[in-house]
Amino acid sequence: MKQTQSSIRDVLYEAPGPKARKRIAVITVLSLLALAALAVAVIRRFAQTGQLDARYWSIFTRYTTWRFLGYGLTGTMTAALTAGVITFFAGLLLMMGRISSCKVLRVLCTVLIEFSRGVPTLLFIYFFLLVVPQFGIRLPALWKVALPVAISACGVVAEVLRSGVNAVPKGQTEAALSLGMQRRSAFFKIIFPQALRYVIPALISELVIVLKDTTFAYIVNYSDLMQNARVLISNYDALLSVYLVTAVIYILINYALNKISVAVARRTQ
Amino acid sequence: MNFSENNTTSANAAPIIELSHVDKHFGSLHVLKDISLTVKKGEVVVIIGPSGSGKSTLCRTINRLETIDSGEIRIDGTALPEEGKKLALLRSQVGMVFQSFNLFSHKTILDNVTIAPIDVLGKSKKEARAEAMDLLKRVGVDSQASKVPAQLSGGQQQRVAIARALAMHPKAILFDEPTSALDPEMIGEVLDVMTSLAKDGMTMVIVTHEMNFARRVADRIIFMDGGSILEENTPDEFFSHPQTKRAQDFLNSIQAH
Repeated sequence: MKQTQSSIRDVLYEAPGPKARKRIAVITVLSLLALAALAVAVIRRFAQTGQLDARYWSIFTRYTTWRFLGYGLTGTMTAALTAGVITFFAGLLLMMGRISSCKVLRVLCTVLIEFSRGVPTLLFIYFFLLVVPQFGIRLPALWKVALPVAISACGVVAEVLRSGVNAVPKGQTEAALSLGMQRRSAFFKIIFPQALRYVIPALISELVIVLKDTTFAYIVNYSDLMQNARVLISNYDALLSVYLVTAVIYILINYALNKISVAVARRTQ
Repeated sequence: MNFSENNTTSANAAPIIELSHVDKHFGSLHVLKDISLTVKKGEVVVIIGPSGSGKSTLCRTINRLETIDSGEIRIDGTALPEEGKKLALLRSQVGMVFQSFNLFSHKTILDNVTIAPIDVLGKSKKEARAEAMDLLKRVGVDSQASKVPAQLSGGQQQRVAIARALAMHPKAILFDEPTSALDPEMIGEVLDVMTSLAKDGMTMVIVTHEMNFARRVADRIIFMDGGSILEENTPDEFFSHPQTKRAQDFLNSIQAH
């Protein structure tokens, strides 16, 4: 292992000796065998039930299938980005209220944050689907997904941002104030940029959650990746193959996001 | 380069910092007891005393990083406002150098020095940069201008902090134990910069444990203990003839090792 990338593993465990190395080798082989056996069992079961039949998989040789999933992916990205941006700014406002010197604002924002964190996303979705229209407000499908998902995530983002602000040493504020900078200027030019660096990985993790929450789109009939996958399933009766491909697409996106977050965190340290 | 408008340290020079009957409590602890102190233009006042004597707190009340319970603080004749733009304006006229440097860790050395002149004084980026480079050259760290603070030694960081304070053309600079966090071999380079500032006529209030430096540079020594000013004298008088038992004990305990 490279010395430059010392991980928590190096801190917790000492380098293995000869006995430990042998034990590790045995456990590695055994677990690989077990995994292989499991995979064979699963594939055999699928073969027996006909899930591996060509008719379920041949749809993925067609351009139109991918184009349809592509539309869905665009929908997912649009919803996730819209919700993500709203989440960030709503979280920022809530956090600033939470650390404000005005007590009423502080209490109000604390309550809002707890509300946002405590209520399941699905409840917010139903609120925008069933309750909001009763007041005569007709929202496009995109907003019926993006708003509830953002509302559900902004409380966590507020707390993540607050932890970042608290992690910035007090001396940074004092230095800014002693130079004659005003509180707002000191916050946005000195404190917040440093706080943001501390919490970028946590924020991107929250973006992954937002992206996954957009799968609630099917409830409000918004065409995201999940919704379009469900259309494919009902059209071709291809449950396993479509779900598998869809899952792989979601995994790839979220894996990429996590890679970005690690890269950004390393760059800014 | 000259950092102050004029170099007079005469007895009738205008007072820059005036504290009268300042009291402060931390909970039940009475940390500043009826402090009155006047610092004139061009004067170098060194505050010494045992830890917990209130000298850092006193230093920090002068630009209201610590609030006071009663009494009055005036900067260049203006009473220190309690908040807002007026407080920020007055703070901009009093520089501060901290024990832990407190350079802005996400900004380059050059940006550390230019941010306040641009943000507070409304200078152009170009003008602020040119002046910042002059100041960095003056304190001997101009070759580090594009680095970030973490890449510099403690002594270099503290010299940048001094340049950052000077960039605001302050009427006075407060030094709160500026060498206490430094390795011994870096203390000298920071004290040298401070000595040359004093020679140029900068008004300075310095909290320090560096007795030789205090003796050499100070116009006046303030000895504090238990939140009160016990002695106020010229360095020669104070170090050779301390008046109070407490000051004698303090000086003995320092010279003992």
